[in-house]
Amino acid sequence: MTVTPDAPRLHRRAPVWWMILPALVLLVGFLILPYISIVVMSFREASTKAVYGDGFTLAHYTDVIADPFIWGIVWRTVRTALIVTVVTLLLGYPVAYHLARTRSRVASLLYICVISPLLVGLVVRTFAWMIILSNNGIANSWMKALHLIDRPIQLLNTPLGVTIALIHVFLPFVILPLLGNLQAINPEIALAGRSLGASRMRTFFKVTLPLSMPGIQAGSILVFVLSISAYVTPAMLGGSQGRTMAVLVVQYLVDNFRWPAGAALAIFMAVITLAILVVYLRLTARAMRRLP
Amino acid sequence: MTLNRRHFLAALTASAGVLSLGGRAFAQAPFVIPTYGGTWAKFWEEVLLPGFTKATGIQGQLDVGLGKDFVSKIRAGGAASPYSVFMGNENIAAMLRAEGFFEPLDLTKVPNAAKLHEGLMNPENNGLRGIVSPIGLAYRTDMIQTPPKSWTDLWTNPEFKGRIGLYQIGNTGALLFLRLAGKLFGSGDMDIDTAFTKIAELAPFTQASWSGEVATALMRGDVAIAPVDWTEIMTLQDKGAPVEIVVPTEGVLAYEQSFNIVKTGAAKDQAHAYINYLIDADVQSNMAKTFYTSPVNTASTVDAALAKRIPITGDAMSKIIRFDWDKYVEIAADVADRWNREIG
Repeated sequence: MTVTPDAPRLHRRAPVWWMILPALVLLVGFLILPYISIVVMSFREASTKAVYGDGFTLAHYTDVIADPFIWGIVWRTVRTALIVTVVTLLLGYPVAYHLARTRSRVASLLYICVISPLLVGLVVRTFAWMIILSNNGIANSWMKALHLIDRPIQLLNTPLGVTIALIHVFLPFVILPLLGNLQAINPEIALAGRSLGASRMRTFFKVTLPLSMPGIQAGSILVFVLSISAYVTPAMLGGSQGRTMAVLVVQYLVDNFRWPAGAALAIFMAVITLAILVVYLRLTARAMRRLP
Repeated sequence: MTLNRRHFLAALTASAGVLSLGGRAFAQAPFVIPTYGGTWAKFWEEVLLPGFTKATGIQGQLDVGLGKDFVSKIRAGGAASPYSVFMGNENIAAMLRAEGFFEPLDLTKVPNAAKLHEGLMNPENNGLRGIVSPIGLAYRTDMIQTPPKSWTDLWTNPEFKGRIGLYQIGNTGALLFLRLAGKLFGSGDMDIDTAFTKIAELAPFTQASWSGEVATALMRGDVAIAPVDWTEIMTLQDKGAPVEIVVPTEGVLAYEQSFNIVKTGAAKDQAHAYINYLIDADVQSNMAKTFYTSPVNTASTVDAALAKRIPITGDAMSKIIRFDWDKYVEIAADVADRWNREIG
């Protein structure tokens, strides 16, 4: 290609900023403006005659913060998300590790197994869990057949049922980032550890695991955020005992048409999630700085 | 590219053409008809909409959702509602009515309204109830020894304890049951305190968000008895499930779909024509066959076989226990909140 003397000058003059304009329009139009609208709505007075009243108030926030019932649901939501995150990490890591290292022909099959749940609609998967977890469902039937229980254990409409289903739903979201990260780690580093006399276990904990921290961090954040904001699964499997904040927010907004209070509740939950993420990011960033 | 005068004129002409097409497209914008999903949408698409177009010449475009979604869209639409007709449970319609979103029906444009059963036209013609799905007491015939006869059996028959299914408060069925409990045991259907006390006595019970979920719980045997609408139970029976439904001695509850003219909608004439068509005798008979609903039109016919399965037809429509939802609007949010805290 012949480069004319004018070409660099023209390139410098080219207004590159407009190329981000479509993304900016999308971001402002479909994210920032609705967020602003929700924030503003959360300060509007309630009304039974319209979407919201004319005046502004802090009452929705003070009501939320002073309400032990809300805090109970917040705690249940955060606890469920934490359990789901930890369990998916524990279950997903070996799968990701195996997939990253294997050269077996069945690797493709394993990939399909990991991704296939994502190909089925969430509602369908949750319905399947409804059938599995019900009193007369597969889980209880098997436990009875194995003489582990005499009478059915209630799994449906409990936080346990929601947790089990969320672990299944979000497992791929921890495996995939971990897989990418583990594949990027040069296997020769672990081999070097082995050749210096470290056991397989020691090599894993001292070399591979620390190097996979970025993948752990990405996967766990993804699963935590998705779990905390999950709606369909808790709504269908949680019942009153397993109700989470997302379900309560939707109930405020859609069922009871209490838009300002629902908006305040949603923002309250977002702030709590953000606070937990900031703490987690700081802790994991500190841990990663200590990596060799 | 440099923009010369010829290019500019061409672009201007093209723009004018597009604008005029847009204007024509807007003028011919289809009449938007809100309806529910699943078998309802299928019926609307395959039967009701073609019939409506054939009868009136009006092209309709379906918008599938829930009554609550339609409320949100009408509210969000402000002075330009996306719908000219609202379809939703009467308790939800009452809320929009209180907010001033509806206007009275012009009955000269809804001649079929004269044939409605008593109680289905709202005061001052402010909306009518065009689809009625009665709610009775459904039970598993293989799990219950003594079939229920009265709503109060839920409290008195020990066989039902711990095996009852109820709707969650987000479903109109729960509100109907709550107000029924107030009416049965308290000073009236607005005696919410008594209603809460009595419903708490039924615990533990399974709660479901919608009728399909109650039906599934009955099918699985997770619950043995529940208030459910005929539509669900007849569908289960058709599939061979061992379920039966009775008309309690006190009468039945009912999902009553309210049809209203939206004040801020653009197609008032089409909306009137649609409501008139929907409550037509033949259309109502057709719906009864498909959904096991109770025809709202006194001229509708139901054959003997179907009448055996759906007992709330004709004169029996008087067995529907109705509540005034206009005065309930003010306390609706507080009741829902209280349910979450006290019932769970």
